[in-house]
Amino acid sequence: MRYVGRRLVHAILLLLAVSFFSFALLQLAPGDFFDAMRLNPQISQHTVESIRSEYGLDRALPIRYARWLRSMSKGDLGYSLASNSAVAPLLRVRARNTLLLSGTATLLAWLLALPVGVWSAAKRGGWIDRIGNVATSAILTVPDLLLFLALLLLAVRTGWFPAGGMVSPGIDEMNFWARAKDIGFHLVLPAFGLAMVMLPVLVRHVRSAMIETLESPFIRAARGHGIPQARLLFRYAVPAASNPLISLLGFSVATMLSTSMLAEIVLSWPGLGPLLVESIFSRDVYVVVAVVMLSSVFLVMGNLLADLLLFASDPRIRTENE
Amino acid sequence: MAPQAQPAARETDPLMRIANLSREYVQRRPLTRTAFKVSALEDVNLTIRRGATLAIVGESGAGKSTLAKCLALLEKPTAGEIWFDGKNLLGLRKRELFLAHRQIQLIFQDPTSALNPRLTAEEIIAEPLAIQKTGTKDSRRERSLELMEQVGLSGRSADKHPLEFSGGQRQRLAIARALALEPKLLILDEALSSLDLLNQRMILTLLADLRAEHSLTYVHISHDLRLVSEFADEVAVMSRRRIVEQRPAAELFARPEHPDTKALLAAMPSLESICLRRLA
Amino acid sequence: MNSRRKLWGALILLAAFHGLILFAGFFAPYGFAVQDREMPFAPPTRVHLTDTRGKFHPRPFVYGLKDDPADPGSYVTDASQIYPLRFFVEGAPYKIAGLFESHVHLIGVAGNGRLFVMGTDGYGRDQFSRFLYGGQISLLAGLLAAALSVSLGILVGALAGFYGGWIDELLMRGSEIFLALPWLYLLFAVRAALPLHIAEWQVFLLLVAVMGLIGWARPARLIRGVVLGAKERKFVIAARGFGASDAHLLFKHVLPQTYGVVLTQMALLIPQYVLAEVTLSFLGLGVGEPMASWGTLLASLQQYYVLSSYWWMFLPALLLIPLFLAYYATADALQERLKSVSL
Repeated sequence: MRYVGRRLVHAILLLLAVSFFSFALLQLAPGDFFDAMRLNPQISQHTVESIRSEYGLDRALPIRYARWLRSMSKGDLGYSLASNSAVAPLLRVRARNTLLLSGTATLLAWLLALPVGVWSAAKRGGWIDRIGNVATSAILTVPDLLLFLALLLLAVRTGWFPAGGMVSPGIDEMNFWARAKDIGFHLVLPAFGLAMVMLPVLVRHVRSAMIETLESPFIRAARGHGIPQARLLFRYAVPAASNPLISLLGFSVATMLSTSMLAEIVLSWPGLGPLLVESIFSRDVYVVVAVVMLSSVFLVMGNLLADLLLFASDPRIRTENE
Repeated sequence: MAPQAQPAARETDPLMRIANLSREYVQRRPLTRTAFKVSALEDVNLTIRRGATLAIVGESGAGKSTLAKCLALLEKPTAGEIWFDGKNLLGLRKRELFLAHRQIQLIFQDPTSALNPRLTAEEIIAEPLAIQKTGTKDSRRERSLELMEQVGLSGRSADKHPLEFSGGQRQRLAIARALALEPKLLILDEALSSLDLLNQRMILTLLADLRAEHSLTYVHISHDLRLVSEFADEVAVMSRRRIVEQRPAAELFARPEHPDTKALLAAMPSLESICLRRLA
Repeated sequence: MNSRRKLWGALILLAAFHGLILFAGFFAPYGFAVQDREMPFAPPTRVHLTDTRGKFHPRPFVYGLKDDPADPGSYVTDASQIYPLRFFVEGAPYKIAGLFESHVHLIGVAGNGRLFVMGTDGYGRDQFSRFLYGGQISLLAGLLAAALSVSLGILVGALAGFYGGWIDELLMRGSEIFLALPWLYLLFAVRAALPLHIAEWQVFLLLVAVMGLIGWARPARLIRGVVLGAKERKFVIAARGFGASDAHLLFKHVLPQTYGVVLTQMALLIPQYVLAEVTLSFLGLGVGEPMASWGTLLASLQQYYVLSSYWWMFLPALLLIPLFLAYYATADALQERLKSVSL
C-alpha cells in the first residue's frame, strides 16, 4: 500500500510541475486575447483594461497561477473567452468525443496487434512474421497526415463513408439506435486511420516481448517437458510476457489524447484537437492550458496505471517494494 | 625524506607502508533509503620492500581488489595511512596527487577491458604521457615504440587496435602503458589469471627482466598459490578484510602460522612437493 | 542485405534528397512565389520526345496548354505549340544556402512554354519548385531541432551519468517532467503563445527552439545509460590511474562510446521533427505564406474540391515517404551495426 501511495504522490507532484510549466509558458507570451479589441478604435483603452482585470489577466504570474490552481481544484477550469462559456463543460464534451475515437482506435489496434505480434513471435520467419514486418515498416514510413488525407479522399470519392464530422444533420430527431448507427458510421474512417497509426509500434513491442519470453529458460524447460505449442503459448508465455505488455498498455492510455489530434483535425471530428487549434487562433489562453493539462493528466495517469497494474500482477515487484 | 640517511638503512627502508587502512562503503537499502556501512578493508597493515616482489593472496571477497585500488590511489580509504617513499599519500593536494600517480601503476586482470578498443596501441601507451603532459606528440610516439620493443611487441603493430592482438600481447601492451611514466611500484591485480599457462610464463619472465632494468617493485594480487610460490619473495595473506600474515615466501609455505593461512594452504594439493622444492 | 550495404544505400538516398533540396534554386525551374494566374491547378506537364506527327525530336519538349472550352477549369494540350526544353539556362538569381548567388538553372523552357513537373496550385505556382524550396524550410527545421535536442541530451546525459549523485537525481527528475509533457500539444500551445504576426524567420527559429527544447529527455536518458556503463570500464579507471582529469575521461573515453546512440537518435528524431513542422504549417500555425514549407503545400488539401479533383497536390506528401524511409533505414542499419560491433 505504501508503494501505491508513493506512486500517487509522485504522479500528483509531476502534474503540478507540468501545470506550472505550461501555465507559465503561455502566460509569458506577449499579447493576449484582447489584442484585437485594442486595435478597435471604438473601444477605449480603459474599457479593455477593465475587462482584463475582471478576468484577472492583469495580475502577476504567480498570483494568476495560484488562482487558477485554486479554481481548478474546485472543478472550475476557467473561462473561455472565445466561446463565452466556462471551460470545463466545453472540455467535457470534446474530451468525450476524443475518448470515443481514440478508445475505439486503441481497442482496434490492440485487437490486431496482439494476435499478429504473438503469431510473429511464435513462428519467427514465417509468412505472418514477414508480412507483418513489411506492413508495419510501410505504415511507419507513411506520415500520419498523408494517411488521414488519403482516407478523407476515399470518403469524398466513393461516398461509402461520411467525409468527416461526427454526426449527420438531423441527429436530434433520430432515436437512440439510429443515432448510434450514425455516429458509428462516422467513426469508421477516423478510428481505422488512428488504429493504423498506432499499430506498428504495438505490433513490434508485442512481438519483441513475446520473443524474449519464449526464449527464457523456463519456457524452454516447459517445451522440454513436451507441453504442446498452443498451450505453451497461451497458458505460459503470454502471462509471463504480461510485464512489458502492461507497460505497453500504460503507454497506449498515456498517449490516447495526443495521438488523435491530427486525425480529428483532418477528418473534422469534434474532439480536443480542433478545439486546441481554434483556441490557439483566438488566443483563448485558459482553454489551451486546460487542454494541455488534460493531455498531461492522461500521460501521467497512463504511466501510473501501468505501474499499479504491474505492482498488482507481478509478485516480484510487490516483494521488492514492501 | 631525511637526506642524511645511511646507505644501509636506505636499503631496508620500505618503499611503501600501509598502516591501519580501512575502507568502508555506504550503501542504501533500495526502498527505505536507510544507510548502512559495508566494510571492504579493516585495519590493514602492510610493508612493501624496495625491489621485492610481494604477493597478496587470499580467497575471493577478502578485499584484495579494494586494497589494490587504494594502493594505486584510485580509491580513498576511510581511515589509515599510506606512506610512499617517506611521504604520506593521503594528505596530498590535487596537484601533488596528480604527480604521485606517476609512481604507482596498476595492471588489471582483463587486458581487453583495460584497453580502449577504439585507440591504437601507440595511442594507448602514449596516453599517460599525454595526460601528464610529457614531451611532444612525436617524442611520445617514439617513447611508445621504445616501450613496445621492451615488452616484446613489434613496433610494426603500433597502429593496430587492441582487438587485433592476442590475450598475452594485450597484457604486454598494458604493461608497456604502465611503464610509460617510469613508476617505482607496479601493482598487478590478478594480471595473470586470464592467461593460459604459456603466456603466464612469458609474462613472468618479462616482468623479471623489466624489474632489473627499471628498478621496479611489484605487488602481485593473486588467488593462485601455485603460481605465487614460483615468483614471490614475500607473501601477505589476506583474510576477511585484514592482512593476517606477511612473511618471506619460503617461510610462509613451510611454516604457516595463522589459522587462515593454514586453511588456504591446506586447500592446495601437492603443496608439500612445492615447499620441499623451495627449501632445497 | 548486410547492414553495411543497407547503411550506405540509405545514406546515399539521404544525400541525394538533401542535395536536391540544398540546391533547390538550381533544380527548380521557377521561384517559389512566382504565380501564373492563367494556369491555376494545372496538371503535371508531360514531356515528349516524339510529336503527334511521329517525328522524333532529339531535344525533349512540352506542348502548350490552353483552357478546355468544354470543361471550365480544366486544360487540354495544344499540339500545335511545341516548346523545347533547355538545360543550364540563365534565369532568376537565387542563393545557395543563403550565401552563394547563382543564375544558372538546370532546366528551362523556351518561349511561352511551361514545365510544371508536379502541376500547379490555386495561384498557378509550380509545385515542384515549391516542393524543393519548401524542403529547405521543413528539412532545416527538422535538422536543427534534432541537433538541438540531441546536443542538450548529450549535455544532460553525460553530466547525470558521469557525476551521479544529486546531479543525476535532479536532472532525471527534470527529464521526467519533460517526458510527461504531451509534446505535440505543447508545441501547438507555445505557438499559440507567440503573437500571430511576427517575422517569418522568428517563427522558424522559435519553432526549432521549442521542438529542440522539449525533446531532449529521451536522448538524455539513453546517453546517460551509455555513460553509466562506459565510466566503469577498466580503461577509464586506468586513465584515472594516470591522473586524468574528468574532462579528459569524458571527452576521450566516455563520450566516444555514445556516438552510436547519438547518431541513431538523430536519424529517428529528424523525421519526427520534420513531420511536426509540416503538421504545424499545414494547420497554418507554422511558417506562413508565401514561404513554402511542405505543410503549406499540403494545406489546400483541406478543401474537398482540391482533395478530390487535383491528385497532384498529394505528391509532396507522397514524396515524404522515401525521405522517411531513408532516415528509418539509416537508424535501423545503425542499430544493427551497434549491436554487432564488439564493445
